[in-house]
Amino acid sequence: MKRKLLSAAADLALIAYFVFALFPVVWMVILSLKPTNELFSTYFSFTPTLDSYRTVLGAGDDQGVPFVRFFVNSLVVSLGAVALSLVIGLPAAYAAARWRFCGSENLMFTLLSFRFAPELTVIIPLFVLYQKLGLFDTYVGVVWVLQLVTLPLIVWIMRSYFSDLSPELEQAALLDGYTRKQAFFRVALPLVKPGIAAVSLLAFIFAWNNFVFPLILTSSNAQTVTVGALSFLGGDRPKYNLTAAAALVSVVPPLLLALTIQRYLVRGLSFGAVKS
Amino acid sequence: MTAQAAIALRGVSKRYGRNTALDGLDLEVAEGEFFCLLGPSGAGKTTTLKTIAGLEQPQAGTVELGGADMAGVEPYDRGVAMCFESYALYPHRTAYDNLASPLRSPRHRLPADQARERIGEIAELLGIGALLDRPVGRLSNGQRQRVALGRVLVRPARAFLLDEPLSHLDAKLRQAMRAELRAIGAVRRTTTLYVTHDSVEALALGDRIGVIRDGRMVQTGTREELWHRPYDTFVARSFGRPRINLLPGTVTPEGHFRSPDGAYELPLAVPAAPGTAVQLGVRPRDIGIGGPGRTGGGPPAPERTGGGPGPERTGGGAPGLELTGAVHVTELLGRATEVTVRIGGQQLSLVAPRAEAAGLGPDHPVRLSLRPESLLLFEADRPARPGRRIST
Repeated sequence: MKRKLLSAAADLALIAYFVFALFPVVWMVILSLKPTNELFSTYFSFTPTLDSYRTVLGAGDDQGVPFVRFFVNSLVVSLGAVALSLVIGLPAAYAAARWRFCGSENLMFTLLSFRFAPELTVIIPLFVLYQKLGLFDTYVGVVWVLQLVTLPLIVWIMRSYFSDLSPELEQAALLDGYTRKQAFFRVALPLVKPGIAAVSLLAFIFAWNNFVFPLILTSSNAQTVTVGALSFLGGDRPKYNLTAAAALVSVVPPLLLALTIQRYLVRGLSFGAVKS
Repeated sequence: MTAQAAIALRGVSKRYGRNTALDGLDLEVAEGEFFCLLGPSGAGKTTTLKTIAGLEQPQAGTVELGGADMAGVEPYDRGVAMCFESYALYPHRTAYDNLASPLRSPRHRLPADQARERIGEIAELLGIGALLDRPVGRLSNGQRQRVALGRVLVRPARAFLLDEPLSHLDAKLRQAMRAELRAIGAVRRTTTLYVTHDSVEALALGDRIGVIRDGRMVQTGTREELWHRPYDTFVARSFGRPRINLLPGTVTPEGHFRSPDGAYELPLAVPAAPGTAVQLGVRPRDIGIGGPGRTGGGPPAPERTGGGPGPERTGGGAPGLELTGAVHVTELLGRATEVTVRIGGQQLSLVAPRAEAAGLGPDHPVRLSLRPESLLLFEADRPARPGRRIST
């Protein structure tokens, strides 16, 4: 009886938290469905309309903010940043997991420090550099600077996945007659697939959500949704409904990605094969 | 030893940080030989195999395969096959794909149909033909062990390195596999270095056995050599269950062995300096037992329930030695009985046929018979150095 009460109380607490946590989202959904003239009404009755979404996606009459372009930009730079980080980071993580070389720990720590150093400390010099190098407002520039966000994440998380893997698996591959490179690609890499999926998703979300770098280092060509969504607030009167719709639209890609690779997020593929 | 051993390690040392795994290890395995490396855990057995395979680089010493120095030769160019203690099967593949792995590698590639045939043969041999489609995650330990062994046998190799391949199996399966292992043709023909911590396995399988301790080879030899002429008490203790009795004592001026409390003295066949602290080694199966009324009835019938080739029990020879004591405890081992006997302050265990030990209870007086040639004399153990055997 007591236990039942306790679990009921726990459920209630969870529901309360759920409501608390999801309320801003609900509020945004409501806001995005409101017509512009009823935007500031405080009561709940309004005529719902999808006009905001139409405008945001470029079908409405109120043009001026190329949101679709920002959206595509975000996709390109986020996917690009994750892909580049995987290409560089997977071998790096593997090396860091398997070999202690001179300065390896310092290198890893330096990489980690990119994550906890505030972006604002480097943004001004970066701005100057980007102007001089012609990287300002380019895809390459944004993908490059996003490495500060995605690379440490991928290297650090993948390193622990590789460390969990018994080195004897690759040693067995070497004795089977494979080269070290083949052992990496044929044995180690397939076994950390769940890790790659999880960390790619995480890195994608971080890259997608990044605000400061595109804010300072892009203007219009390579601007991303995080910065672009704010454009609706400029002008003579802030269009909160458009901002809300833009924000909701920009949630879609990470969400879809998370749903697609969900099954990889469950770890445990390699359990049971190696006794430890 | 011939000039060209199949596997030769000379003065190989390997340290991991502050831990010394191998400390000047010497080892030679002849072509086609089945060599067992025996030692407790942490003795450096696995490191030895990995060093031979080229998976670990020694800090000192040389590794030779077929007479050629292997320094700087990559593992895939050494042509040895290894079965890991962890099995190291590829968990994301099926048993078939695991077996096929060597045959798909650039080094040992076979056309797919030939590979299928070869894998079929090996699977048949190891009794895993029905399991080939299963992912290795769904195999039992015994089945995994067979797959791991199959992956070793499936390809041509200049030597097999087997790291405790039977240790994770249950007792029954282990015994069956032990018998099968040596019967496998490929194993019969190929130089095999077999690592184990189980002395019974080593005695049963090895043409020759090497005993390793703290990264050094203590002694190598045939099972008879190790049994009858152990280098030190460590080797003597490694073989035989129940373990050899090691009785501390001193040498008297007449050259006799004397127990610390003076309860008994025994003449020694080997000369030892009077006054030295020594240990007398007697194998439990070399002790005969008789009741108080009977004289210790000659050499006991050879009764072996496990472990150990046992000495030659030639009749006659030197007259038997006798000791008297009292039974401390008896324990039935199946067809034989282990009897622990108190002699003065010392305890001595022996194995007697069940019939002879029947009716013995605690504090029963007994008379023990020993043959002088079965006694081994060792120096006293010192810290970190087991006592060496004293020989003529």
